[in-house]
Amino acid sequence: MTAQMFFIAFFGLAAVWFGIAVFRTYSMVRSALALLFSQTALGAMFLSMQAEFLGVLQIMMMATEMSIMAIFMVMFMMDPGGLSTMDMIHQKRLSLLAGIVSFLAAVGVAVFVDWGPVEMIAPDPAQQTIALGLELLGRSMLIFETAGITILTSMIAAISVAIQPVKQNTVPTITGSNHHEH
Amino acid sequence: MNLIAIAILAPFSMMVLILTLRRIPAVLALFGAAVGLIASSGLLSSAFSGTNSELLLPGLPDMPLHLVATPLTALLSTMVAVISSMVLVYAVGYMQQDKEKTRFFATMLLFISAMQTLVLAGDWVLLLSAWELIGLSSYLLIGFWYQRAGVKSAATRAFLYTRSADLGLYIAAFILIDNAGSSDIATTLGTGGNAAVVAGLLLLVAAMGKSAQTPLHDWLQGAMAGPTPVSALLHSATLVAAGAILLIRTAPMLPPETLLVIGIVGGITTVITGLIALGERDLKRMLAASTSSQYGLMLLAIGAGIPLAALLHLIAHAAIKSSLFLGAGVFQHSRESTALVDLQGAGRDRPRIFFGFALAAFALAGIPPLSGFFSKDAIIAATLASPDAMLLATFALTGTLLTGAYMARALHILWRGEKQTREIAGLQWMGAGLAVLVILAAILGFTFTTIETLLNNHLDESTLAQILGLSAALSGLALGWFIPAKRLLGPLRPWAQQSFAITGGFDVWLVKPAFAIARSCEQVERGLYATVLAIGRLGLRLGLAARFSDERGIDGLIFSLVNNTIELGNRARTLQSGLIHREMAITVVGTAFILVSALLALLVY
Amino acid sequence: MSIDLLIALITGAALFGVGIYGALSQTNLVMIMMGVELILAGAMVNLVAFWRYLHPDNPAGQMFVLIIMTVMAIEMAVGFGVAIARFRAKGSVEMEEAVELKG
Repeated sequence: MTAQMFFIAFFGLAAVWFGIAVFRTYSMVRSALALLFSQTALGAMFLSMQAEFLGVLQIMMMATEMSIMAIFMVMFMMDPGGLSTMDMIHQKRLSLLAGIVSFLAAVGVAVFVDWGPVEMIAPDPAQQTIALGLELLGRSMLIFETAGITILTSMIAAISVAIQPVKQNTVPTITGSNHHEH
Repeated sequence: MNLIAIAILAPFSMMVLILTLRRIPAVLALFGAAVGLIASSGLLSSAFSGTNSELLLPGLPDMPLHLVATPLTALLSTMVAVISSMVLVYAVGYMQQDKEKTRFFATMLLFISAMQTLVLAGDWVLLLSAWELIGLSSYLLIGFWYQRAGVKSAATRAFLYTRSADLGLYIAAFILIDNAGSSDIATTLGTGGNAAVVAGLLLLVAAMGKSAQTPLHDWLQGAMAGPTPVSALLHSATLVAAGAILLIRTAPMLPPETLLVIGIVGGITTVITGLIALGERDLKRMLAASTSSQYGLMLLAIGAGIPLAALLHLIAHAAIKSSLFLGAGVFQHSRESTALVDLQGAGRDRPRIFFGFALAAFALAGIPPLSGFFSKDAIIAATLASPDAMLLATFALTGTLLTGAYMARALHILWRGEKQTREIAGLQWMGAGLAVLVILAAILGFTFTTIETLLNNHLDESTLAQILGLSAALSGLALGWFIPAKRLLGPLRPWAQQSFAITGGFDVWLVKPAFAIARSCEQVERGLYATVLAIGRLGLRLGLAARFSDERGIDGLIFSLVNNTIELGNRARTLQSGLIHREMAITVVGTAFILVSALLALLVY
Repeated sequence: MSIDLLIALITGAALFGVGIYGALSQTNLVMIMMGVELILAGAMVNLVAFWRYLHPDNPAGQMFVLIIMTVMAIEMAVGFGVAIARFRAKGSVEMEEAVELKG
């Protein structure tokens, strides 16, 4: 049992624990924070699996995202502190069943499939990054180009959806009608 | 223009004018008749001078239409024209208060033109057509007052009787044309042998129909339902003369056997219809029976072999009988009836009219110097000279006796009675027409020698005939005046009043079957009509059914399909709960399903 | 079969299961989004494990993970935009009340 294996197991367990904690707590902020920790544990797991770039990226991004999410929690929840003990869950049994079934199916697949020979040696982080960069500018160029445009579109869409409706003007127009912009 | 054409076309064109203008029918009719009279006189005068006018028109192939004015035909044409004109003059007065003058005068003119065509005909086709036309006009004129009871059936009866007899004329004409190879009458008169016998008998049948000889005499008495001018023109002088004219014209062709039959038929008719006249209770019907009797005498003369006597009597009788009828018409207007019971003493109302009537009656009986004496005398002489003198002469003398008897009876009834004064409209016109004809009736006898010269034929004078005839006439007159009819006829009276009908007469044998056939034809017609209507209705139903099936069936099918789809969609719509978590659950389950299927597929392939 | 790989895969499976439970059971839109985050995280772990233990020379594995991360970010952005609009319209983001599309 190597150290790598131990760390992977530890961080994995932490991720799952915090993941479960997201849905067990009544407080919204705590849910957000639990998710944050879960994602961070995941980033650490990546690091222990020698995917440094990804690990770092994961921790950075998820930290930011979860903080924003915490802010939104506070904005939208009627009970962000979770002081009431109301169980805001519906179709509990169905979702439990679905969750367990999918877990078991995935585990079954993982255990019973012959994945082939396992390489235990991973390349250097520097070499990984170079290879990643070359890959990005080579084969995956198209993907990221389209991804870029898609991101742009989504950003515009998100902004337009979230934008506040324009307030009514008191200055009368020539036709004398007020029109709403949305 | 050819005088023949004028004689025929003048009345015809006036008829057309009357029908189109529908105004002043009397004036136009008189004008047409006058022009026709002038034309006929012109024909007669040219016949006197020896020229025969002829008119040849294209007809059927090999059978051109031929109109010819020989002395005989020109004479007959003039007679027709004179009588027609005088009767039309009379009719102006008679019909003064009638409302349908247009129809009357138009039909009279139609008859006159048809009759002129008949007498001037030179070929069988034209003669047949004219024969039919006069039958048609007779039907129209007898049934003139068709709203009155009994008139329609009288007209139909007359038409049916004469029409059935016309069959004889058709077959005879075909035989003659076939035999001679041409339809020209003069040419066909050369036929001989069996064809002549048969044709002669058939012509006799036709003559019996048209001239109301026994046993076809009944229609003439029924024909008195028409207006009196019609009776005077058609049923005394012209239409009934057509039968006799036919026999006179074809006389050169008739063999002795046929002549004997003709004579017997004429003789029987004379006696029987004379007896009927004696028993009659209606003045006009009596005159009708008298007409049949006189034509019987004419047929006797033809049968005796001397058609000239028949012709002379025909001409004399035309004038006499028309005047008798015209006088009867005045009495009819005076007493509003023609029954002898109502007419008692009608002579005293209008003495001058009665004088004319009496003059004509004496002429008919055969009193010299009136025209009837000469013609009757000729007939009796002819019968005495014939091979079957005994039979024919007896018939002739009996006929003369009876003539005197019934005429005297009529005069007696008309004179013995109460006088009634009543105004008659149009008396001047009626008197004028009557006067001319009475004068003619009186003086025609003196023209007979001229006629004989014209026709290049002479009668033998027989003193015996004169004596016998005169005695028969006088005794008849005496009997009729002094002895009432009841005693004269005795046991024959009821039979005579039914006009000697035997076994129901023609009513049972001819008229009723004809009507039964007509009725069954109408039933068939109605059945066919109903069938056609039913087929039409069936078609309509089919159309409706088609539309129905289209609307309910096919359209229904399509629309129900549409509606069911919408219903399905509506019901499927309710599956949407709108809840996000449900949607997501469905998504998860669906995805799992797809994944599993994909994996399994992978395993298989 | 390496134990490391197995552990990583099981972790991924567990995250996946938890994420599905959360996405299906939560009433709040933001919580649902958190569940979706967890599902994607599970997928990412699996991918990294496969890259590390089966094909470490091939950077395509890491590329895939990058793409997923990008998608996660965008999805969150759009999702929050929708949540804001919904909050403005109805005053809450509870999905139990969002039944306007009921058929």
